Amino acid sequence: MVIRRNKPALVAVDRSDSEEIMTIATSPSATERDLRLDFFRGLALFCMFIDHMPNNILADFTLQSMMFSDAAEVFILISGYTAGMVYGRAMERQGFLVAGVRVYHRVWQLYVAHVFLFMMFMATVAYTVGALNNSIYAEEFGAANFLNEPGLAVVKALTLQFQPAFMDILPLYIVLLALLPFVLAGFRSWPGVVIFVSFALWLAVQFDKRIALPAYPGPDRVWFFNPFAWQALFLLGAWLGWRGTSGGVSWLSRRWLFWLAAGLSLAGFLIRFNWTLHGFYDPLPVAVSDKPLWPFLSKGDLGLLRFANVLALALLVARLIHPQARFLASQAARPFVICGRNSLHIFCLGILLSVLGQLVLNEFFGGIPMQFAVSAAGVAIMIGVAALMEWFAAAQGASGGRALEAPTAGRGARGCPLPSYAPRSS
Amino acid sequence: MPPAFLRSTIVLIAAGGIGLLSAPAGAFDQERECSVPESFYAYEPPLTKTAKALAGGRQVVIAALGGASTLGLAAGGAGLAWPARLASALAGRFSSARVKVVNLAEARQTAKRAADRLDRDVLPLKPTLVIWETGTMEAVRGIDVGEFRETLQAGIDKLRAAGDEVVLMNMQFSHETDAMIHFQPYLIAMRELADANDVPVFRRHGIMRHWAESGLLDLRVRDDEKRRQLAGKLYDCIGHAMADFVTRGLPAAKPAASPESGR
Repeated sequence: MVIRRNKPALVAVDRSDSEEIMTIATSPSATERDLRLDFFRGLALFCMFIDHMPNNILADFTLQSMMFSDAAEVFILISGYTAGMVYGRAMERQGFLVAGVRVYHRVWQLYVAHVFLFMMFMATVAYTVGALNNSIYAEEFGAANFLNEPGLAVVKALTLQFQPAFMDILPLYIVLLALLPFVLAGFRSWPGVVIFVSFALWLAVQFDKRIALPAYPGPDRVWFFNPFAWQALFLLGAWLGWRGTSGGVSWLSRRWLFWLAAGLSLAGFLIRFNWTLHGFYDPLPVAVSDKPLWPFLSKGDLGLLRFANVLALALLVARLIHPQARFLASQAARPFVICGRNSLHIFCLGILLSVLGQLVLNEFFGGIPMQFAVSAAGVAIMIGVAALMEWFAAAQGASGGRALEAPTAGRGARGCPLPSYAPRSS
Repeated sequence: MPPAFLRSTIVLIAAGGIGLLSAPAGAFDQERECSVPESFYAYEPPLTKTAKALAGGRQVVIAALGGASTLGLAAGGAGLAWPARLASALAGRFSSARVKVVNLAEARQTAKRAADRLDRDVLPLKPTLVIWETGTMEAVRGIDVGEFRETLQAGIDKLRAAGDEVVLMNMQFSHETDAMIHFQPYLIAMRELADANDVPVFRRHGIMRHWAESGLLDLRVRDDEKRRQLAGKLYDCIGHAMADFVTRGLPAAKPAASPESGR
């Protein structure tokens, strides 16, 4: 969420939500990027990688252990914001149809990435299943149905209903992005109605757990990230991003709102981190018991506290950090920024690395030094690949064929299997 | 992933860890090598009533709810399952007490199914202690964590209202399944639930991981006969560890590290 009070100029050079849209500039000053989006999305990607290796002490020091919300909320909110900004602008300029097709092109890329991850998952299962079926876990593992009906599993993966470990956030993102053109069209005519309906739907999910999408294998399984709840966060982000293109949302700069957000974030930190510390050292008393808060902490249904906490954090960041803050442009922040800028690829890579890392930790153990080593190696690989992609994009730009300003639309395919349009500017 | 593939991949990244692979298979020739560090038990609330009943030589009925690993399928039968090993360990230590461990496990039993059986199958036994092994089916089937928590909460409430003490036992550890099944949310849910209710957790996942890490148990055997032996060994270790766990706080049952009265 970004509040831009004295910066009407807009920028979006976001390679991840818009690999195709390299620049959408309204004026010369608009070439300034909002580095916060890249930076915090990169940070969220590192957190996700580490969180997905549970036997890792570092997972006790990521956002999930300090706040009610975690990297998933940050990722979806920033993605919504960026998408609203980029495609909202595209819709203004190119109309519903062209902007819609661009969104669906991006949806296609996400879908291909999802299928790619599924292949990786199936490879893991295929390699492991023989060993597991011949182990002391055979009976329990057999209930997983992974390869009992491989044909059905493949089909259900293609319809996004089969969401094995770590393969749940891309389907959510795909569905949310597929909704975006219609949401943006709605924003133009009745923004209040769209936001109201979105919020009401979120609220309905909080009270009625039956509002969910069925998943495979049934009958009890539902989508882990309930799209009926998570759409509220994505749409709110999209609305802010869309409004950002026309000067931002003025009431967000109210002073009391800032202090409310600060209070909420601080309370969230104190309560949540206290639980984390209690987990380390049991005699440490728990200030606020977690039991009464459970109904508000559901991750799948985006519980109230998670929702409120991520919004409060976003408001604080938006108010306290300038879009082009010196730190964000520094070398120290660069690893985060480049990962955030290439978020789809780095996200997929992070999933693979966390599965590998988890296998390493369960195979070789090695205690805390090993956990640090595995985490550091994974983060280094993520940064390395992101740097390579940046270098490659720059090299292609320099060679003239894909210069940032060159209107070579429709050409080129960087990064198979996730082809992208050539950049364009209008 | 078969060890061969896994190792060849991983050695590149983590050559240093190889020494740990050579876990001595013969470690089990010595009886009861599988002790559990004190830290796994230290902060779990004690089972005062059960421990007192054992020490006082009274009748103690323990009911075990769970799935395949409680039923003892991999070892070949309930006689080799951890509840049976727990019974014999307790009988060895408290010869005056009449200990009865009833194994109510069913293969693939979900928490919901177990909770549905409380009225009919558990409460009539008037158990002093109910050990509820759960979480595996929920993680394997991806059942909603909130629903899992509600089911367990209702079950705990019911058992405690009847005056029974409760222990939760979490999932087994394996080298490979984590890559395919997301256990962590369910492990956390059980931990939180136990803390909120002041109920102890027997942290089987962590304890098995410790045994694997320290080379006390090689969980990777594939050969049919060896696998049965491993399962028998594992369940024996779990049963004895559970006996230590249940009798914590009793002066007589303190030597948890090297209990002599194994079988």
